[in-house]
Amino acid sequence: MSTVRIPAPTGEPAPAAPPAKTSPGKRSTARLARPRSRRDNIHGWAFSAPFLAFFLMFLVWPMISGAYMSLTGKSLTGANSGFIGLANYAEAFGDSDMWRSLGNTLYFTLISTVPLVVIALALAALVNMGLPAQWLWRLSFFSPFLLASTVVSLFFAWMYNPELGLFNDVLVKLGIPPVAWLNDPAVAMWAVVIATVWWTVGFNFLLYLAALQNIPQQHYEAASLDGAGGWRQFFSISLPQLGPTTVMIVILQILASLKVFDQIYQITAGGPGGATRSIVQYIFEAGFTGYRLGYSAAISYIFFGLILFIALVQVFITRKRSA
Amino acid sequence: MKQQDSGSTNLNRRQLLLGGGALFGGLALGAGLTGCGGAAQAAANDIRFWHLLSGGDGIKMQSMIDRVNAEQAAFKVKPTVLAWGAPYYTKLAMASAGGRPPEVAIMHAARVPGYAPGGLLDAWDLNLLAEFGVRPEDFSPRIWEKSQFNGQVYSLALDSHPFVMLYNTEVAGKAGVLRTDGRLTDINSPAQFLEVSRELQRVTGKHGLSYGYLGDGAQMWRLFYTLYRQHGADFVLDPGKPAQVERDVAIDCLEFIKSLLDNTIATKSGDGGTAVAEFASQGSGILFTGVWELPTMKTAGIPLGAATIPTLFGTPAAFADSHSFVLPHQAAADETKRRGVYEFVASMLKGSLSWAEAGHIPAFQPVVRSSEYAALKPQADYAHAADIINYDPEAWFTGSGSDFQSYFAENVQNVFLGRDKATAGWDAFISRINTVLAMPNPV
Amino acid sequence: MATNTLSRPALRLKGSVADIPARRKRAPLSRILATVIVAVLAVAWLIPFAWATLTALKSETEAASTPISWIPASGFTLDAFTKVLGSGNIPTWTLNSLFTSAAITAITLVISASVAYAISRIDFRGKDLLMGVIIASIIVPPPVLIIPLFQQMQSLNLIDTYWALILPQVIHSPMVFVLKKFFDQIPRELEEAALMDGASRLRIFTTIVLPLSRPILAAVAIFVFIGAWNNFLWPFIATNDSSLLTLPVGLQTIKSAYGIQYAQNMASALLAALPLILVFLFFQRQIIKGVATTGLAGT
Repeated sequence: MSTVRIPAPTGEPAPAAPPAKTSPGKRSTARLARPRSRRDNIHGWAFSAPFLAFFLMFLVWPMISGAYMSLTGKSLTGANSGFIGLANYAEAFGDSDMWRSLGNTLYFTLISTVPLVVIALALAALVNMGLPAQWLWRLSFFSPFLLASTVVSLFFAWMYNPELGLFNDVLVKLGIPPVAWLNDPAVAMWAVVIATVWWTVGFNFLLYLAALQNIPQQHYEAASLDGAGGWRQFFSISLPQLGPTTVMIVILQILASLKVFDQIYQITAGGPGGATRSIVQYIFEAGFTGYRLGYSAAISYIFFGLILFIALVQVFITRKRSA
Repeated sequence: MKQQDSGSTNLNRRQLLLGGGALFGGLALGAGLTGCGGAAQAAANDIRFWHLLSGGDGIKMQSMIDRVNAEQAAFKVKPTVLAWGAPYYTKLAMASAGGRPPEVAIMHAARVPGYAPGGLLDAWDLNLLAEFGVRPEDFSPRIWEKSQFNGQVYSLALDSHPFVMLYNTEVAGKAGVLRTDGRLTDINSPAQFLEVSRELQRVTGKHGLSYGYLGDGAQMWRLFYTLYRQHGADFVLDPGKPAQVERDVAIDCLEFIKSLLDNTIATKSGDGGTAVAEFASQGSGILFTGVWELPTMKTAGIPLGAATIPTLFGTPAAFADSHSFVLPHQAAADETKRRGVYEFVASMLKGSLSWAEAGHIPAFQPVVRSSEYAALKPQADYAHAADIINYDPEAWFTGSGSDFQSYFAENVQNVFLGRDKATAGWDAFISRINTVLAMPNPV
Repeated sequence: MATNTLSRPALRLKGSVADIPARRKRAPLSRILATVIVAVLAVAWLIPFAWATLTALKSETEAASTPISWIPASGFTLDAFTKVLGSGNIPTWTLNSLFTSAAITAITLVISASVAYAISRIDFRGKDLLMGVIIASIIVPPPVLIIPLFQQMQSLNLIDTYWALILPQVIHSPMVFVLKKFFDQIPRELEEAALMDGASRLRIFTTIVLPLSRPILAAVAIFVFIGAWNNFLWPFIATNDSSLLTLPVGLQTIKSAYGIQYAQNMASALLAALPLILVFLFFQRQIIKGVATTGLAGT
């Protein structure tokens, strides 16, 4: 799972909507919006039924059964499935490994979100200056996004190789001592972030590029007449106009980074000594390596609580902005 | 109105069709391919075999499998290799819990207590084994005892692979610590070991001993537990009770290991790779390691001797584990395949002489007693280790590549590095273990 | 989180990301400078690909020898590729990925489009609640569900089947929302007329609405397909048997199987990357448009 693709609604209207001679206005709705009929009820639910069936079976039910599991000692082997109340939660709040994984996750989120937003914006702004060979830049920056996490991890684990890797080779040639990229607890998370930025920054880059194209041309023309140069135009027009997009991208990026698992699990396996273990990896390990599904479900819900909290903060911020 | 009603039922039916089509069309597609997948994954006579052996061990294992596949046409063994340690054991447990695991797999014998009681493994049928020529008396007592759980046999050992010492006979000769028969001089006490190591160091000019442990809990534990058991001390883990250990002995062992890592006898900053490289380039006279490093050293072309870790504290003891064949629990076991599995495992045990070339001590005694094995040097020199081996303390969370060994590393590495007191590191380790013991046993 | 963002100013894409006109006149110097910077960065971005390719074209000994070199002394070889294709499971894994991703995409499209249509057009009791629940579900992070889903699949005896791979991956609530917004914009007159002619809802949906919605359906399909193709966590949990693995999960097992065979590792990675990169080269415009359209709503 890429770190960027995270669920979030948007006010994005469809592109290239079919030509509408009349707006989907009140006149036509009036005709369809006759009093609710039995037929409409049946039709509506019949059209909704397939989605609803999957939704109930593979989202709602797991949510419920997971919540119940978190109150049991259930194990992978089926042992201890009895109800134990909030014992798992109590244990989790006193579990230093859980806190450490959560801390690692927040640290990763912080140090990955900043470059993933700033570099994306810088690249988009540069490319939007009317450079030639657009397709080439898009290809370079966006194509890594199409790779599976495993491919990215294989590439970077190889480049981070202490003796045979490209990074240390370049460092040594520049006269800098080699770095233990994946074996030094202080460096390993940065190594993961570098791989992540390479992998996913192209996605935010595309979104920014799209947003830049949407800024009405006349803003710039007016500024030009006032004698504003390129930098001035960028800071006084582009940046403010990109505000809503930036808020969205930052929020999506934070929520995506919080879910990090793939590349960490594959590049460092959480090491050295747990220094890069993320909370999702801890959920995986508590459940499947340690067999403790119930405990793992409890940690899942603590993680979910954190995500909900951040989402609420987001709602609060965007409300305030629009107010 | 009437028309509308009939229209409605009509529509309703169509919509149901749409819904049904979406749901069951997709499902049928899935089902179709499940069938295909089933066919692809297991032709009727395919035996899926998981193991965790890579490098030289992996190549040796593959050639043994190839031989069995070539010998008969009744079945074909298809191996899958997963990464040693937690990734392998996690996946094996998940596959067994899921009901469609491989027909047979390799496990470390010390990991079996984490699998068998939870129903993740099926027991071996001794009568069927006997039919293929494998009997309990074909295994040495310690190994056979380890293969059982609750009176059932859950694992069949292919080998035992103790933690031993390799030594460079040339360096030892120059240092004057070689006996006339070409083996290392007898060492019976910690002081004597330090003395011999210093002699070796004087010859190499670098270190006397190579011991790679940094970041490797398994490696730290192997040496520690060897020495701990040489004191004759017990290490009992009973879920629900605190660990029963002899603290003084443990601290004594830690202090001794620390005294080896003085940057003269052995480097403080040795990991697995540097230790192997150092010994292979004659930078030391002794390497503490598992027997599986033997082929690497033979390839390196250094004059090589091998022995169990000297008995420094009275009781001969060596840490070891066994690569063992297990039957992951099948929701629906196929009898024909099961017979194939028994035949396969019997052939592997009988052909384990070639496994001995990789350094391991075959568990199947008829092989060990053969003249071919006796001729295998230096393997035959440590074959007696099978009688003094000690597996990890028995608990659901111990064994090779387990969390237990990670806990040890987390708390003891700083003791070895001299950053922490032995008492502090040990007490932290035991307190971590006690936390696990206090948790409900999930197996 | 959801409702509030609905009124957010739209990120409008008039299909224009795909070709940006050199629209503003800038001082040539700054544009040259920008071109140079972007070109340098673009080259830097391609280094991991290049390094992997060069490694894959070396012999194993050459790949593991120091000092490292870009051009191997003993020349290039295709050994690593032939070995990987000959011994490995990569073809099987590719087919698994293709099949499961296609199935996930098809089911997602059918069920999402029909529920989105119902919510957009049919006035049925409970539809506001339904939409609310679907939007709210967007906040549920998939990793939270892995433990209960595994347990569910285990009790349905579906672990290690294609079912376990496909079924839990077809709920894309944000896509329902994207589709509903699109359907809202389709003029109703066409449907009105057909309804009066006695056409069924299903017929209207399949013969009028869906054909008009091709662009958005394509965008959704692209997004869902890429996501499914590259998904790791759930397929990693749902399957263990090596003949059932998808490409990303299978690739993860290669390291251990081949040990330190760097050339073969890189050859495998490149082979795994190839299908989507090829598709991207051919359909660059559509993919970029699709991703940018659904991106902020992506799942």
